[in-house]
Amino acid sequence: MQLATRARLVGLGVAIGSIVPAAEARAQAVTVDTTHSLYTEAPTKTHMTVYSPGADLAVQPFDWLQVNGGWEADVVSGASVAVKAGGAYAANHPGPDVVSTASVHDFRNQAHGGFTLKNGNVQVTGGYAYSEEHDYRSNAFNVAARTDLFQHDTQLEIDYARNFDHVCDRVQSAASPTPLWFALESSEGCFTSNPLRVSLPIAIDGFQGSWSQAWTPVFVTQLVYTGQILNGFQSDPYRSVVLADGVKAQEHVPDNRAREALALRTNWFLKPVKAAVRVGVRAYTDSWNIRSGDVTAEFEKYFGDSFRATLRGRIYKQTGAVFWSDDYTGGAPPLGPRGQYWTGDRELSPFTSYAVGLRAIYSVTPTNGRIAGFISGLRFGGTADLIQFDYSQFTLAGIPLANTRAWIFGLNASISFF
Amino acid sequence: MRTTFLAFTGLVLALSASACVTVKPQQRAILADPTMVFDDDAHAQAQREHAFSNREGAYGGSGVAGGGCGCN
Repeated sequence: MQLATRARLVGLGVAIGSIVPAAEARAQAVTVDTTHSLYTEAPTKTHMTVYSPGADLAVQPFDWLQVNGGWEADVVSGASVAVKAGGAYAANHPGPDVVSTASVHDFRNQAHGGFTLKNGNVQVTGGYAYSEEHDYRSNAFNVAARTDLFQHDTQLEIDYARNFDHVCDRVQSAASPTPLWFALESSEGCFTSNPLRVSLPIAIDGFQGSWSQAWTPVFVTQLVYTGQILNGFQSDPYRSVVLADGVKAQEHVPDNRAREALALRTNWFLKPVKAAVRVGVRAYTDSWNIRSGDVTAEFEKYFGDSFRATLRGRIYKQTGAVFWSDDYTGGAPPLGPRGQYWTGDRELSPFTSYAVGLRAIYSVTPTNGRIAGFISGLRFGGTADLIQFDYSQFTLAGIPLANTRAWIFGLNASISFF
Repeated sequence: MRTTFLAFTGLVLALSASACVTVKPQQRAILADPTMVFDDDAHAQAQREHAFSNREGAYGGSGVAGGGCGCN
């Protein structure tokens, strides 16, 4: 289980981001958003479909206060790798395929709420999110403060988030070393009094500082530093890794992980063609020795006053974790793991990915009066992205993954009242 | 991490102080355009980044808050 509030920014972080425009347009007293996305992929032996609906409500009863709340979900179905083996093991053990898969069905619900207080050029935000899955529960708190300087040309913001999460695992024998631990068979009995299940804590601290700067009337930049510290059970409890002859053990990764990212984004508006060019770069490193970098470029053009379309691309490249190996056999007998930790996660292996996508947005903001007497703004959007993954080391018993394409489709609508 | 944070904070303060006012209020029309706002369309963007981050080792650069795993 790949922990991390990770980019799970969803919840309150998103709400915070959406607060700013609403707060500045004071005629918008109530804004309702709904967003839907669909992720689908079917690489070798596995497949995964995730439908993510969401709805948010923001209300601004006073100029100095905004409150917001919302819900989102992930409806997951597919099949994932349950037992991972590498090429060296498969070469020495011809015969039945040692790699197996298991069906996955999960339903994550998250409810979130928050507030923003604004006084002059300073605003303070606080929020809470509760998330529940069959095998994972999360309580997340966050606070943020932002100030505008130099007639709003400069914006500085700091954010802090703290998660108190729990993940379900099977009870392991206290006498067994980790190479003999068994994977969780299913989420049945999780977070109940079932004596065969245990709830393991995960603490996540996240910090972010950002600096946004308008340099000219058509050029702005944003520099963002993010740090995160995770402590707790971060393995996929369902996955086993073959370590030696007849020995497979539950995935086992370090309990501690410190992560850092530095991102720079630039927006440049091209008046002659009424379009914006956006370029972003990000560098990332963590204590598991994963290093990555990505570059994103977007070109967004207006067609008329209400419709705009975006063409975007992204290249991402990362190294593997220091304990990553496609094959953990061949270590010291009798159990043979090479190293103290082992994983079957392809996201901890070295790989490159390429993404291209389109986005279309239609928005209506009446300059005089309201639509139907009470609607001050409408917005509809649609997106489609194609991602191609290129895994340089990850195999399933020596067989490289094929058909490593994923699609993401999205639809969203927003309506503002009064 | 602490060293990086201090370096980043120093850089921000130094550069923002030197920037001062570069865009006058009457010149801000384009900067307020949705195409120039960072994290415009935030909900949709967050869902897209959620999909990316669940399949990558990297994290960060666009927010720290959130809850849950949802990482299948």
